[in-house]
Amino acid sequence: MEVEIMIEEADISNEKVLEAYRNLVMERMLDKKMLNASRQGFLPFYIPLMGHEAIHIGIGLALRNIDYFYPYYRDFGALVQLGIPMDMIMSQVFSNASDNELGRDMPDHVSFKKYNIGAVITPVAGHLMSAAGIAYAKKYRKSDGAVLTTFGDGATSTPDFHVAMNFAGVYDLPMVFLCENNGFAISVPTYPNEEGQSDAYEETRGPIYKKAEAYGFEGIRIDGTSFLEVYKQTRKALENASNGPVLIEAMTYRMGPHSTADDPNKYRKDEVPEGSDKDPLIVNQKILKDMGILTEKKIQDINNEIDDLTSKLVDKYEKAPKPDKKTILDNLYETDPWYITEERGDIE
Amino acid sequence: MTTMTMVKALNSALDNAMERDDSIILMGEDVGVDGGVFRVTDGLLAKYGKERVLDTPLAELGIVGFGIGMSMAGLKAIPEIQFQDFIYTAMDQIINQMAKLRYRTNGDYTLPMVLRTPYAGGVHGGPYHSQAGEAYFAHTQGLTVVTPSNPYDAKGLLLSSIELNDPVIFLEPKRLYYATKGDVPDDYYTVDLRKANILKEGDDLTIITYGPTVPLVMDTVNKNNVNADVIDLRTINPFDVDAILNSVKKTSRAVIVTESPRLFGVSAEISATIAERAIDYLAAPILRVSSLDIPVPFALEDYYVPNEQKIMKAINKVLQYR
Repeated sequence: MEVEIMIEEADISNEKVLEAYRNLVMERMLDKKMLNASRQGFLPFYIPLMGHEAIHIGIGLALRNIDYFYPYYRDFGALVQLGIPMDMIMSQVFSNASDNELGRDMPDHVSFKKYNIGAVITPVAGHLMSAAGIAYAKKYRKSDGAVLTTFGDGATSTPDFHVAMNFAGVYDLPMVFLCENNGFAISVPTYPNEEGQSDAYEETRGPIYKKAEAYGFEGIRIDGTSFLEVYKQTRKALENASNGPVLIEAMTYRMGPHSTADDPNKYRKDEVPEGSDKDPLIVNQKILKDMGILTEKKIQDINNEIDDLTSKLVDKYEKAPKPDKKTILDNLYETDPWYITEERGDIE
Repeated sequence: MTTMTMVKALNSALDNAMERDDSIILMGEDVGVDGGVFRVTDGLLAKYGKERVLDTPLAELGIVGFGIGMSMAGLKAIPEIQFQDFIYTAMDQIINQMAKLRYRTNGDYTLPMVLRTPYAGGVHGGPYHSQAGEAYFAHTQGLTVVTPSNPYDAKGLLLSSIELNDPVIFLEPKRLYYATKGDVPDDYYTVDLRKANILKEGDDLTIITYGPTVPLVMDTVNKNNVNADVIDLRTINPFDVDAILNSVKKTSRAVIVTESPRLFGVSAEISATIAERAIDYLAAPILRVSSLDIPVPFALEDYYVPNEQKIMKAINKVLQYR
């Protein structure tokens, strides 16, 4: 899957680009440390991020404060880049008492309504129609901005994806569908396997971005390893969404396992080892060096700074207290029914 | 006050609500230009426009999911599923998003929406236009499940459901859509949710029912001079436990009548609740009258559903139990 890397001069300041790079490094380092916390038993479950960082940072740069973002469960860096307080993000990941969801949902399943961010849902593509409904509400209320929703490549096999694409086309919704195509839905490759990889059938044969055409709107494929490219294309799509929806297929490679319960050695050989040419961290270092924004020394300084910062963050949140058990019956309904009132007496 | 059918009462409720609140949006298959296949939304497109009354593509998961998103964004969605039998492709949306959103986000998002659907039999619809699937929804934590039994309740309960700040599954017994007429105020009014209606008082036994079987139960007890408390639950979940227990403690005998099949159903929950909390008061086993435990048969539907004979057999059995 050859993707041409096109970098025009970014219309954002060098300062902003550097900050975005720092966030990319932060995502990479936090990912490793949170995975480690998971192995040590501080996190019962964790969803690795490696390979997706440039997409996340690009999305975070592209979203405007008039937009609404309905993410899926692998979008950590986008939240960081958007400037959501780290305390809110980390409290959620570690299910702490300070989590606004009170530990109700799995790590990365955030819900930040006050920042115009949807409630991440586990069933794959289960949020796409919600995102469409939110886009309809924007259109109905004639409010500015658009809805960006993200999902993995496996999601494009679900009925939800096709129904949401169809509704988006029919009602001309101000909406951007962004597929983070990392090549695998757990063990099943998105597109036909290379000879000898595994006996799995593929998710699909027709290119994902071309599926938009059947629903009456444009689909594009972009390089998902350059955050400036993701930023540029996603921003353009958001700006144009008042004319109707767009599907973006952002190409990358899932460098880690699907989740902490997965062992990729069973079904693939690692095509993008960490530190190799296609690793988004390396790709973006090269781009930013060519732009004169980064130097080797600056890379080292940022590494040292972020290493220290992320260690302190993980240490703080993995040791923070969990929600009070008395809260578990709260907020099923606005008003407790009689049986919930009774069950409160059962929590000991 | 106008004498109207349940369909007209529901239409009046939607009209009243939409007139007061421009955040209310209707959507579903054929609900706009056609006014709904049962005419519940008749005339609303003409009055409120196609931005508020949306004919949708034929995809139930889309209809429900679209409504969820609108309600997440501050609108109040009232999607219609044309027949409850077709709701199952939307069950993931209902169970995993609609029902859980408030709980799993600890109230960060709330979801005021009413999912309406015609349900149960009475139109010779066979296996796919007759199902009474209330148990699927009642067993899903976070949903409020409501079913009316007459035109007055239909309007008042629908308006209460629209006012609620939580998702409601509103099951409309299609056999009652045009079966009877009743006096219904033209203006806005509500009927309390979570509160049963004691339709008739009597000392010999308690009959608990709701929705499509209520008129059948009332006809049966009136015709046979049964001295019973008849309780119309109105809200299936959360049901009015006090109304049931107070009555059973008085009468010592209980029969539960539902149109849905018996096994693992709502009547089992009510029966268990009575047994757990009032067994010392009981003078006879709690009996259930229901449809047969098979899919709805097309040609022989009359033999499938509860009828006067089946209800009287159960009543006589508990009354004569020694």
